[in-house]
Amino acid sequence: MIRLLGLQPTYMPGDSLEFEYRVTNVDDASIVAVESSVCWVTEGKGTEDLGVHYFQRLSGNSLASIDWSIAQRVACPLPLSPLSYEGKLVTISWCVRVRFFLSDGTELMAQQPFYLGTVTRKV
Amino acid sequence: MKSKWRARLRLWGKKRGGRMSGWWFIGSLGEALFFAAVFLLGVFLSSVLITWQVMSPSTQVIKVFHGFWLFLGVSLSFAILGVVGFWYRVLKVVTSDEHREVIAQRRLVAEPARKQSQKIPPPNIPDLRLFTDSPGARLAFRLPSHLRENSGLVATGIFAMAWNAMIAVFIVYAAGSLFASRTPWQLLLLLIPGIYIGVQSARLFFRSFVRTIGIGSTTVEIEDLPLFPGRSYRLEVVQYGRLVIKKISVRLVCEEESTYHFGTDVRTERQIVYSQEIATHGRDRIDWGYPLRLECQFSVPTEAMHSFQSMHNAIHWKIIVDGEANRWPSYSRNFPVVVHPQPQPNRTSAAS
Repeated sequence: MIRLLGLQPTYMPGDSLEFEYRVTNVDDASIVAVESSVCWVTEGKGTEDLGVHYFQRLSGNSLASIDWSIAQRVACPLPLSPLSYEGKLVTISWCVRVRFFLSDGTELMAQQPFYLGTVTRKV
Repeated sequence: MKSKWRARLRLWGKKRGGRMSGWWFIGSLGEALFFAAVFLLGVFLSSVLITWQVMSPSTQVIKVFHGFWLFLGVSLSFAILGVVGFWYRVLKVVTSDEHREVIAQRRLVAEPARKQSQKIPPPNIPDLRLFTDSPGARLAFRLPSHLRENSGLVATGIFAMAWNAMIAVFIVYAAGSLFASRTPWQLLLLLIPGIYIGVQSARLFFRSFVRTIGIGSTTVEIEDLPLFPGRSYRLEVVQYGRLVIKKISVRLVCEEESTYHFGTDVRTERQIVYSQEIATHGRDRIDWGYPLRLECQFSVPTEAMHSFQSMHNAIHWKIIVDGEANRWPSYSRNFPVVVHPQPQPNRTSAAS
């Protein structure tokens, strides 16, 4: 589960994005790696492009000390561009994405969209 | 069920759309095995060539400087292609999209360090240096022209030259045979359509060339770059040449561009999502030394999206000059500009 800590899902360029994530009903020992990222993706007619603004991968020893019953908090400053955009051929969407890789090969993924800028959405 | 299996076992049918219809795992494994085989083939051929050269130079089939280096180069390129392709496929399976993107961002060759005075450009916006390297005579910058018709002219010219050179060689060969009292009928029959294509391509090239130089060049100068939403800018358009203009108009345009795979083809689609007429001018005569000058002012809309460039998608802003002239076909010339996002005065420092 991902939760944005802002009051609303619209951020301005340069704002600090704070979010927390946690996983339930999963044995802590079975978690092999965790990736959290803040990224934008293009949607629409063209081939999908992905841009990663923030990326953190936890694995091995860094995972052992984490209590997954407590939400993990992450903060990162947002870039100046690209802003969220809904065009006719191109759509740019921002999201926070978290992936859990389990020892049996299963991959759990959750994402939380948000808007960067007010080109497509008024504050 | 039958159609499902048919889709999975399709080998030669043309795939439409970008979605994978077969088994993802089998496809990835097959690609990895293919590139592994290419790598092994490259290594095997290189080893055979080198060991043969070192161990038994007297019995070698391919002598040094007689194709040896060519064969070695081809073998090594197989090995390199195989190892790169194999690891790319493996990374695609074992890493997430985001992780792979982060790995790709860490380039093999580091970018040259910027001077302290140089501002870091916002991400995924075209580099401004390409637009500001030419100062204008009256305003700050002369915009570079993006002429699609020029690329067509160059392509036609290259084709016409190459084709006619090939035909000339065949004509010389046919003439030699005729002088030697041999009539190469097959070659003569092939030369008839060949000469026709050569003449037509040369004609097409010269027609495009005359049209390009006949209308005269268009220059656009702008007060400032990059552009910001909500601000006004002065613009000067100069049309050179010797012709009678029926109408000339200047527009600010925002165009979306998407590149996508359609089966084995790569297609690009463009759509204008915003168009604003900046200036228009009616009938006028232009002569050598007396170009047509249009001075105008325009504003970028407050809610405008900034310029954007990624691998397969783009949002372009440009100034388009459309002209209609007497005795010439109508023309359209594009001058790209860069729109940056609205500056955030109190927040920009946090973003870096």
